[in-house]
Amino acid sequence: MSDEDVQVIKPPNTLSAKVSKGGPGAVDLEAIERAEAVIAGMADNYLEWVEEDLVKLQKSYDGLIGDRDNAKERMETIFGIAHDMKGQGGSFNYDLMTILGNDLCRFIEDKETASDVDVEVIGLYVSAMKVVIAQRMEGDGGAAGTEVLNGLAAVVEKLTR
Amino acid sequence: MAEYNLERLNFLIVDDNKHMRALVTSILHALGVKNCIDAGDGADAFKELRHFPADIIICDWNMDPLDGLDFTRLVRTGKDSPNPFVPIIMLTGHTEMNRVVEARDAGVSEFLAKPISAKGLYSRVRSIIERPRPFVRAGLYFGPDRRRRDNPAYMGGERRKEAAVTEGGDEEAELSQDEVEALLNG
Repeated sequence: MSDEDVQVIKPPNTLSAKVSKGGPGAVDLEAIERAEAVIAGMADNYLEWVEEDLVKLQKSYDGLIGDRDNAKERMETIFGIAHDMKGQGGSFNYDLMTILGNDLCRFIEDKETASDVDVEVIGLYVSAMKVVIAQRMEGDGGAAGTEVLNGLAAVVEKLTR
Repeated sequence: MAEYNLERLNFLIVDDNKHMRALVTSILHALGVKNCIDAGDGADAFKELRHFPADIIICDWNMDPLDGLDFTRLVRTGKDSPNPFVPIIMLTGHTEMNRVVEARDAGVSEFLAKPISAKGLYSRVRSIIERPRPFVRAGLYFGPDRRRRDNPAYMGGERRKEAAVTEGGDEEAELSQDEVEALLNG
């Protein structure tokens, strides 16, 4: 496409008229820290949310086991839940939930069907996510967290080899 | 970091997950935002826009029936769109290159990867305030300019292209926030 085909439009800059710089109420470092503290203060709420998500995840996984003919749809449901869990964990210092949620999504995203091994691997991810929350493995989970990730990776590698 | 007062800005948060809506709302309130409403999907959000003059929209990707991309296209090119120029921050767990390119081509202004932090969210809002981008109409595309125009003295390469090349065609590779910026801003 040539430049002649491109029309450039300068939109009205309405934001600059509504935003002032500095002064009381401006977003300084303290405001950012306060906002981060608000997130940290929601950690108990997060644990309630994630427990609900884990129940939904287990239910969806059970659904996959009992309905392999519709594996694609069943896995899409699992993907949606795991994707939400991935997107929330790290905000509340549950980085392992973000890592495991992401790995689970990557594992199932292109699958049209679910083999026995696939189902087993998905189950392992679900179990690992439950362990992280049950044992309150915050941050990288320390030695126990490393054990969960490495142990899971080793088993998945062995199963899918 | 520049200190802006956000209390007069209207935010519309669009996410099908009520917990994410609660989280983003809480962060914005803590940053001084007073006017903030939310919607559970793109269709509801579009309805809200008719009576709520949003200054910035923060939008999730995966939603039913209208997802974040469809919503963005509707805002940018819909005949009855109340504000085709409104800045849209795509807030998503999808950070693979092909996804970022897709979001850019739908007309999003900024991209913020989940999980979010207050600092990350403010930095995207600040970018929108400090670097309002011209819009272009090019073929079927209408949205923020994806090419670098704001600095005629810029002598570097075309980072958007370089980012794509660097990834060696691995469209599912996860991108860092810097790489996302390069793809979005040209």
